[in-house]
Amino acid sequence: MSAATRSDLAVKLAGGAIYGTDLDLPGMRWAALVPSPVAHGRVRSVDLAPARRLPGVVAIGAEDLPSLLPGSGDADRPIFPTREVLYRNQPLAAVAASTLPEARRAAAAVRVDIEPLPAVIDLESVFPDWPGAEADRSPHVIAHVHARHGEIEAAFRSADRVVEETYRTASVHQVALEPHACVASVTGDRWYVRTSTQTPFGIREDVASLLGVPEERVVVDGTWVGGGFGGKGSSLLEPFALLLSRAADRPVRLALDYRQEFELGRTTLPAVIRLATAVRGARIVGRRVRLLLDVGSSLPGRDFATGYSIGFLLGPYRTDAFEVEGYGVRTNKPPFGPHRAPFAPQCAFAVESHLAEVARSVGVDPDAFRADHLWHEGDSTALGQRVGPFGLPSALEQARATAARWRAERPPGRGVGIGMGFWSTGTGAGGEVRLVLTPTELRIVQGEREIGSGSVLRGLVVVAERALGIPSDRVRVEYLSTAEAPYDSGVFGSRTVGALGRAILEASASLGATLAERLGEAGPVRLELTGGELIAVARSVRRPVRELLSPGELSVGLVANGRHFADPRKIDDSRVVTGSFYPYTDFTGAAHVAEVSVDRETGAVRVERYAAFHDAGAVVDPGTARASVEGGIAMGLGIALTEEALWSDDGRFLNAHLLDYRIPTLGEVPVPDVTFVEGFPGAGPFGAKGLGEPPIIPVPAAIAAAIRDASGAHVTELPISAERVARALKLL
Amino acid sequence: MSAFELVTPRSVEEAIASLRASDGTGSAPLAGGTDLLLDIDDGRAAPARVVSLRRLPWRTLDWVGGALTIGSTLPLRSLEDDPGVRAQLPGLYQAVHAVGSVALRHRATIGGNLGRSAPASDLIPMLLALDAEVDLVGPSAERRLSVNDFVRASRRTALAPGELIRSVRVPESRPSAYVWQRVRLANDISQIAVAVAYSPSGRRWSVAVGGMPPRPVLLPEVARGLGNARPTDPALRAAGERATREVTIAADQRASEEYRRRLVGTLLGRAVRSVDVAEGVHR
Amino acid sequence: MTAASADLTVNGRRASFTALPDDERLLDTLRWRLGLKGTKEGCRTGDCGACTVLVDGRSTLSCLTLTREVEDAAITTIDLGAGDREVDRVRAAFAAAGALQCGYCTPGFVIALAGLLKERGRSLSLDEILDSLQGNLCRCTGYAAIARAAALAREAAP
Repeated sequence: MSAATRSDLAVKLAGGAIYGTDLDLPGMRWAALVPSPVAHGRVRSVDLAPARRLPGVVAIGAEDLPSLLPGSGDADRPIFPTREVLYRNQPLAAVAASTLPEARRAAAAVRVDIEPLPAVIDLESVFPDWPGAEADRSPHVIAHVHARHGEIEAAFRSADRVVEETYRTASVHQVALEPHACVASVTGDRWYVRTSTQTPFGIREDVASLLGVPEERVVVDGTWVGGGFGGKGSSLLEPFALLLSRAADRPVRLALDYRQEFELGRTTLPAVIRLATAVRGARIVGRRVRLLLDVGSSLPGRDFATGYSIGFLLGPYRTDAFEVEGYGVRTNKPPFGPHRAPFAPQCAFAVESHLAEVARSVGVDPDAFRADHLWHEGDSTALGQRVGPFGLPSALEQARATAARWRAERPPGRGVGIGMGFWSTGTGAGGEVRLVLTPTELRIVQGEREIGSGSVLRGLVVVAERALGIPSDRVRVEYLSTAEAPYDSGVFGSRTVGALGRAILEASASLGATLAERLGEAGPVRLELTGGELIAVARSVRRPVRELLSPGELSVGLVANGRHFADPRKIDDSRVVTGSFYPYTDFTGAAHVAEVSVDRETGAVRVERYAAFHDAGAVVDPGTARASVEGGIAMGLGIALTEEALWSDDGRFLNAHLLDYRIPTLGEVPVPDVTFVEGFPGAGPFGAKGLGEPPIIPVPAAIAAAIRDASGAHVTELPISAERVARALKLL
Repeated sequence: MSAFELVTPRSVEEAIASLRASDGTGSAPLAGGTDLLLDIDDGRAAPARVVSLRRLPWRTLDWVGGALTIGSTLPLRSLEDDPGVRAQLPGLYQAVHAVGSVALRHRATIGGNLGRSAPASDLIPMLLALDAEVDLVGPSAERRLSVNDFVRASRRTALAPGELIRSVRVPESRPSAYVWQRVRLANDISQIAVAVAYSPSGRRWSVAVGGMPPRPVLLPEVARGLGNARPTDPALRAAGERATREVTIAADQRASEEYRRRLVGTLLGRAVRSVDVAEGVHR
Repeated sequence: MTAASADLTVNGRRASFTALPDDERLLDTLRWRLGLKGTKEGCRTGDCGACTVLVDGRSTLSCLTLTREVEDAAITTIDLGAGDREVDRVRAAFAAAGALQCGYCTPGFVIALAGLLKERGRSLSLDEILDSLQGNLCRCTGYAAIARAAALAREAAP
């Protein structure tokens, strides 16, 4: 089955797909935000009068909120700051006018008076002596997680050798090519917004809580999504657009330009990772892991990142004795937000590079050393979960064979390295779907939009195809707004096929049972196509679907619902000292092999060959799966080599454009070999595991290993720029 | 409401008059627009009048006895496509190819590149090494300046109010090369770049360095150190060291001073070695 | 005059505007005056290629082009229906190779590649094609499928 059968190819190739940025409603006004000129400050006044004097301008600020908001909203998260500004460009007010230039002029006319306060931008400036005991008492720390297990002190005391290293990782941005955009239209008490999002229901929830509106009065309708990668997973512009629409009594369009897309984006921020490993012989006996994670202006209690990231610093390796401690540090940047496999590639880079150094320090081959310590099914994770079917050891075995071949063939100046990463398929809260069968087609009715990966238009369609034996071109995905669609938590966390796919299985089973009953035949029902008509087949009985439907069903279709909500899972709480850690649903992983050349005079790195070995459980759709891996590798190469958000000391995003924030171009990305390691089923339909995030995770680690192999340069900081390689090679 | 008034004169005289009519500071000539429009968007430029040069007869490329005259509004893509440029001025071909993307080069022009005089211009270092000259037309007279005299500083040139670049003249075919260091292969700005050319008539090398503020510069002493057509390895090494020592290097967010300095000598060596003086072509 | 009348030829059709601001970009005219939303707005700084259109057959960044500057030219955008040989061939190649995911960069890629085929035809090597497409950014596909599509489109050239 090739990806070429995706049903969105035609509309996208004809230029007919409407994205958030393309939305246009009759009488629509154009909006602009009024940005904070400082990264931290006390709001003295935001005077909208000069903007309101301009013809046709509607302006709203904090003072207008009581009259616009139906409810009291979320006191922790004011829509406009009333006292304290927490990051540069934080919206202080919003305006709408007849044209975009007029809206921009109006926004510029707003008089802002803010008393600047000292800003914290550089994570390490907060804790120059970190790690020290003072961290958990710092007012800048909003999350502290701590876990331990085993005789850690004894392990370090009795070790033959302790290797301790510090890694630094950069802030990277999702760079979905479509910037955030939405159009809101409030009529009466219906708060309608059409937006480019990964989570229509998440936006509904978020908007309802921010505005204090009952959820059922908020209607979120999706569009085609021009890339999400985590960046379109929560509300950003929708509350402003809705309030402006209410104030203007017209539809309002609010879209970011690309500079704002960078400046306001919620994404991965810098981190410092300290790893200490105690070894006896060639065996790890103890690990200490410390993480200092910049969470920007995230609110206390809303930092998901710190505890979640810690897991990636321990796994996927057996750890008898360990201690981990992580601090979420507040800085004057936008709040931390998810970026495809949030922070996992950075963790894998540190862990994989570090364990390779540990191996070298005891004279063991780094790949063999990692293989010896890797999780296998039945092992326990650091936090006491049993590892389920896990294909990473097999993937590594295949990767090592490829690496050995490439090493034998390589020209001088090139190096080959292996990096690994693991993931656990996300679930979100859960989701439901509705299947509607007519005499000629099956409709999958739900609220998610296809964000590009194919997880909806291929993943869900193929699940239905396999469950009911129906030809996939007779399965149509129907998108509805949150007012009509069954609930789902969103397209994120590699969860779509795993969670919604299981809902489809349930609905398919129910549909099959109804048809079997009407056919008067037990057993599985298949839907075949003959002369444009669907035929229900059970064993030897065949009847057209048309004949099995009641008159009412002939007009609206035969409906079956399915749902899947997350199974509760637990970690061993006795190992947790403080903070929230996250349990895994399943265990997926990948081993990547990179071959690079390193210019020994300039430090420039070129990726020459690339191979990826993935455990995705049972692959649902090979073409889509391969496409996800190819795309993830390219994104991972950006994190590895070229992407870095630069922040000035006063909180400006210095390279907020696509010339100096460099995502890979066609010239930097080799066409990878992609192999799926089968036989390690996950909990998804037919044994599938999620595959949205895993492809990006091992990439920086693989590249770092290949650079080390090619040149001896051991770079402990991302991205591994030519200049950093040059420094590691002592050229500077 | 438009941020500026656009005028599209049909003759050179009219263009000069249009530029002058808004007293110099308030007007800007528009060629491809790929740089000017960005500056207008970012508020770095705010001309009241923009004078389009698209109707002027300057999209030309003329070879006369080994000298090349490039009309200022010729799109870079046409320059890149000319077989003569590729064969006779390989360094210029490489420099043009290094600019932006194909779609950008379909509009961007050599006159615009010189007139806007960006510090990281890929063309200016190569034009310096080729001893290129610019022909200017203005309200009172025409004049010819070396590119070296024309480019003053970052974003500053010798253009007088009302004056326009009519053409750029490269005096002779020269074995030449343009090498750069960047993060990405294309669609990027050079962190540092070295242009070299060998003049068969003068039996001498020229060397220029670019890719950083304030402007690309010629390194005549370094060039002299290369000696004749085939520099020896020690001469090349010495020249590289001299360049590393002498060139004024700036740091910015694209690269540190140290890194740029380290690269000057390396890139110079690579550039000179890649020039085949006998064949006149880039290997 | 800073908002005089203007005429434009897009996808073979003539369009007239009574008052078009002098500073208006071709991208905005196409999208918001003509409703041709197929051409995408990405960076608006000439760095992503999403807004690529053909001006007299040559790929052009419509975000950095004044509409008035191309009044005399023939503009081709992705919204063009079937019938253009190169555009159709590239579309078929993209479909066969599955060379898109979110699709936001797709119009720019299709138009840029079609322009290249018009400009160079068969004389173009695959390496030259790939080199020439570096001005178009894609965040989803990793370019592998796009490279396959480019090879298919080249092979299909007459």
